Amino acid sequence: MSVVKRTIRIEEQGREASRATGAWLQRVKRLQSVFGLAVIITLASVLCVRNGENLFLNPVNLANVVRAVSENGIIAVGMTLVILVAGIDLSVGAILGLTATVAADLMMHKHFGTLGTVLAVLLIGALIGLLNGAVSTKLSIQSFIVTLASMSIARGIARFWSGGTGIPITYGNEPNLAPVSYSLLSERIAGIPVPAICFIGISIVFAALLRYTRFGRYVYAIGGNETASRLSGIRVTRVKIAVFTICGVLSAAAGLIHAAQLNQGSPNDGIGYELNAIAAVAIGGTSLSGGIGTIPGTVVGALILGVLDNMLGLLNVNNNLQMVFKGLIIIAAVVLQRKK
Amino acid sequence: MGQDAVLTLDGIRKSFGNVHALKGARLELRKGEVHALMGENGAGKSTLMNILQGAVGDYEGEVFLSGKKVDIRAPLDARRLGIAKIHQELQLVPELSVAENIFLGREPRTRLGTVDFKRMYRETQPYLEALELPVKETAKVGGLRLGEQQLVEVAKALSLHARILIMDEPTSALSESETRKLFQVIRRLSAEGVSIIYISHRMEEIFELSQRITVMRDGEYIATVNTREVTKDDLVQMRVGRAVSDLYPFRETSAGPVMLEVERLTFHPPAGSARKRLQDVSFAVREGEVLGIAGLMGAGRTEILECLFGMHPGHTSGVIKVKGTEVRIRSPLEAIRHKLSFVTEDRKGQGLVLGRPIGENMTLPLLRQLSRWLFLRFRDEENECRKQMESLKVKATSPATVAGTLSGGNQQKVVLARWLMMNPDVLLLDEPTRGIDVGAKAEIYQLIHRLAEQGKSIIMVSSELPELIGNCDRIVTVCEGRVTGEFMRAEATPEKLLSAATFRSEPACQS
Repeated sequence: MSVVKRTIRIEEQGREASRATGAWLQRVKRLQSVFGLAVIITLASVLCVRNGENLFLNPVNLANVVRAVSENGIIAVGMTLVILVAGIDLSVGAILGLTATVAADLMMHKHFGTLGTVLAVLLIGALIGLLNGAVSTKLSIQSFIVTLASMSIARGIARFWSGGTGIPITYGNEPNLAPVSYSLLSERIAGIPVPAICFIGISIVFAALLRYTRFGRYVYAIGGNETASRLSGIRVTRVKIAVFTICGVLSAAAGLIHAAQLNQGSPNDGIGYELNAIAAVAIGGTSLSGGIGTIPGTVVGALILGVLDNMLGLLNVNNNLQMVFKGLIIIAAVVLQRKK
Repeated sequence: MGQDAVLTLDGIRKSFGNVHALKGARLELRKGEVHALMGENGAGKSTLMNILQGAVGDYEGEVFLSGKKVDIRAPLDARRLGIAKIHQELQLVPELSVAENIFLGREPRTRLGTVDFKRMYRETQPYLEALELPVKETAKVGGLRLGEQQLVEVAKALSLHARILIMDEPTSALSESETRKLFQVIRRLSAEGVSIIYISHRMEEIFELSQRITVMRDGEYIATVNTREVTKDDLVQMRVGRAVSDLYPFRETSAGPVMLEVERLTFHPPAGSARKRLQDVSFAVREGEVLGIAGLMGAGRTEILECLFGMHPGHTSGVIKVKGTEVRIRSPLEAIRHKLSFVTEDRKGQGLVLGRPIGENMTLPLLRQLSRWLFLRFRDEENECRKQMESLKVKATSPATVAGTLSGGNQQKVVLARWLMMNPDVLLLDEPTRGIDVGAKAEIYQLIHRLAEQGKSIIMVSSELPELIGNCDRIVTVCEGRVTGEFMRAEATPEKLLSAATFRSEPACQS
């Protein structure tokens, strides 16, 4: 019932706004990132044909795309929350590297089971996120600076922990091997890669959290006007810390998946992931000044980046040129999303 | 079209989507006149002035400057034509100094091409002196009070040597004495041949300053009249198209037991804060009583309310008692729990989340009650919002309307609706009618009285003395962070309040 109500409310909201610029234009605007995705998918399906075979649209490749998107997507969901409260988290990539390393080490050398590993690793992510949030709010330091510092700290710990090299994961039932159940994270269920399932599940949970809960309302209010929120009795500090903690946990979740995918935990992985996540959030229409944005937007943003990567790869475009393209797409996407 | 018209606007039309903001507006401005522009909120005054200063390029209609047809499509056009505007919403850079703000974009240069600060400061001084503005030209604008900032904006317009000056509510943040100074400047400018378009909701100012008045209603031109030939009632009738009954409703004072008691409230602002200090402020307010706080800008009026609302924990000392029990209020949340509510002076900066729907804005403090476990009960929320919107006559189609799109009066009603929803015992109102139209003002006054009759306590800060005298049962005056006087409604006059607000009863008080 309330879902219906909500939809009506949003439509009304759209109607209000559309008075200024014309109704259909507004509707197109709101779906712009989806159009962008459609354009890129169309491009990919048309261009990536070799010897009469469509390399992009084949099921294995599509599954690969979603799998590749999942890690960045999961991080980007957390990043969306952080950016909605007008913060930024640069430590996500380092958290991924650290947690992947710790996960490998716990299973291979410390006799942890799957559940224990998962819990311990998520806890580490939560702890770093909590510290990010607590330090930036309590000491009023901009989150950019705090997370820049924790990025360095987390990366340093990861390298120190592992001696600077990756820890390979091999599965088996013996004490010095990783539990087989952990490899589920790199498997498929009904043809869909498990990481993709995680990504979809996490996206749905957090989209619902933002839309249907008090917490979500607070996140938008704080990003929109922090003073007004505080004066309305919202515990701004607490909400912000929670948001950073969530971002840390999701980065750790991405780290678990990363380790399972590569069968190793390397302290040097995840470098630059924070930028990919921010790019996905920005392409998805979230304002970096806070208060405006959605999870579905971010999901689309992550998919756009993923499909683009995949397409350029299939077309054998030079690796370095791929980066150039990606940069241009980010600018174009953000310009197209701009109001007016 | 008059012979001596410096500016003529004719048949101006402008639509935003399917809202027709202007439907054939007209204005004729003579050389050296102070021309008042009046109209309710949403009458189209601001849009018309935005067109004139080049902020809205795509309008229909004709603009003549000294008989010559001109096009104003960009702010630079307006500046070239000698049109300057003093904004109601201040457009200053808080991190820059007074002088830097005044000369922003046209800083004097030295031979090396660097900014000639010496000259800039030297050239700033005369403007500050003309306005008798007691700030240094090197002071950061962000550290100044709102009223002082407004005068800096005036100085900036003066320095542009504009031939046409638009003033949109220039006195809304000024104290009486600053208003006097501003009026002197306006008169001098007009004597020098500068034409001034003066927008204000304050009738007294318009009668005092202007030679002619143009009235607008619903985006249309209603009439232009000579100020000497009309009465207040005529104008009100023209603006609203109906007669407005007495602004201040009469109410028997029937104060009950003491609701809120403040003893020796002292506040030392942290270093670098623009807030003023408070010293041993004591007062009490009873159930069903409206208490006014009068004082000049910077006297500490706002700070009293902020301290009561727990906004400066750690810098505040003193005793606060609610219904006889001493309470500790260390955050707005704790204040709300003690059933206090606070309507701030700065609606956009501290009151509303402008980008979100008004419904969400109203229910922010109340979401705990409006949710089951973690999840919001949208239907209850919407009902609650619609109820408040109806009782306060908020003009918006639904609770989903984005707050930023409403007029000032309606935004203020949304803020009030927010606090009324939680059924507070004490309402702290800081300049509750600032920048609001007569119609909306009257409604807010009615509301204040209705709330007092329900037994709520109201503490109201205002720089408009007639407003305080009209609404309050009792008024305390503050000066430099101390209470300097207390008056019952029957004995309060603007003169008495003003002299108490400028007189320091205790001499040894460093500021």
